[in-house]
Amino acid sequence: MGDQVLEETLTADSIGADAALAASGDASAFERLYRTHVARVHSLVRRMLDADEADDVTQDVFVRAWEKLSTFRGESAFGTWLHRLAVNVVLGRRKTLGVERGRFHTGEDPLEGVSGRRETPEVSMDFEDALARLPDGARQVFVLHDVEGYRHEEIARMLGVVPGTSKSQLHHARMALRRYLDR
Amino acid sequence: MNDQWTDRLSEYVDGELANSERTALEAHLATCAECRAIVADLRKVVARAKALEDRAPKVDLWSGIHARLTPGRRPGVTRPWRVSFSVPQLLAASIALILLSGSGAWLALKPRQSAVVTPRPDPEFAVLNVSTRRTDAAIADLQDVFDRNKSRLDTSTVRVVQQAFTTIDRAIAEARAALVADPGNAYLNLHLADTMRRKLELLRRVNAIAAAQS
Repeated sequence: MGDQVLEETLTADSIGADAALAASGDASAFERLYRTHVARVHSLVRRMLDADEADDVTQDVFVRAWEKLSTFRGESAFGTWLHRLAVNVVLGRRKTLGVERGRFHTGEDPLEGVSGRRETPEVSMDFEDALARLPDGARQVFVLHDVEGYRHEEIARMLGVVPGTSKSQLHHARMALRRYLDR
Repeated sequence: MNDQWTDRLSEYVDGELANSERTALEAHLATCAECRAIVADLRKVVARAKALEDRAPKVDLWSGIHARLTPGRRPGVTRPWRVSFSVPQLLAASIALILLSGSGAWLALKPRQSAVVTPRPDPEFAVLNVSTRRTDAAIADLQDVFDRNKSRLDTSTVRVVQQAFTTIDRAIAEARAALVADPGNAYLNLHLADTMRRKLELLRRVNAIAAAQS
């Protein structure tokens, strides 16, 4: 138990030290941060945008992080800071592209045509496929709330909607994914 | 099926209903098998979402990112009050510091000597400087304790701890070197204080673990 606590402490300190080094211009330290966090950032981006945009936007996130490192004060973990920045980049991307925020409407079944449940280890990939079929707005709310753990009030501020809309879209997204899981 | 409660089931699953609504919904669930089934499914969806595994991109994106980083420039220099440092400038600052102090190690252990470089008479930074000196003293004390007790830890643990110290010490030294060129830089001062705090916390943790081995 002590060793695990020590290992976690060392990992956190190592990341904190690398963040400090990167903030002073050390690209090698920044590369270590990239290696540690790229899977999480890329997965977030891929789930919130189209998969073919994920690589480009992930690069944008890390370049933005390099530019903004001075704003990282260490009050939160570096990963938390980076993650929030990634969310902002993703939402900014949608705004820049002028993509309409899709919402569920009564009677829609956006998952029509998605393959059914597989009793294989790849089932989580099917879930990700189904997730990608959700309307943009519902998908973003679902990813932010159920995958990333943001609260409705935070999501509402990020997306410029009221919390009730966030709750409604989340419920519809879950119901759609439930129907898919039931097939 | 869509009764008056269907659209509230996610809020129920998330524990967001008011007590009175939750009580009413639970009374409904006791008689409605379909809503119970939906609640069970919604919980499965939530569990599946939390269990999603992160996957790295299929190609390594680092080279593309690295190519877009301004070489030799400290990040975040777009803020107007901040002074940017190139690698040669930082190197020059480090050399100047070494010349002033005699050695880098001496500098790391005796930061009060950096007063040779005239600091800006900003009271906020004066407070930070005092705090930094106190932290230095605390680190030195805890380092002594660690040196005396590290034999209680296994060799591999000590090696990992020493590597962590080396990384943190390097960050502290770089921050101090940069502060020589810009002693009034608020970010660098806070950054130095924060990095020293990290070392202090690490020493405390390691010493506590070593003490527990006795």
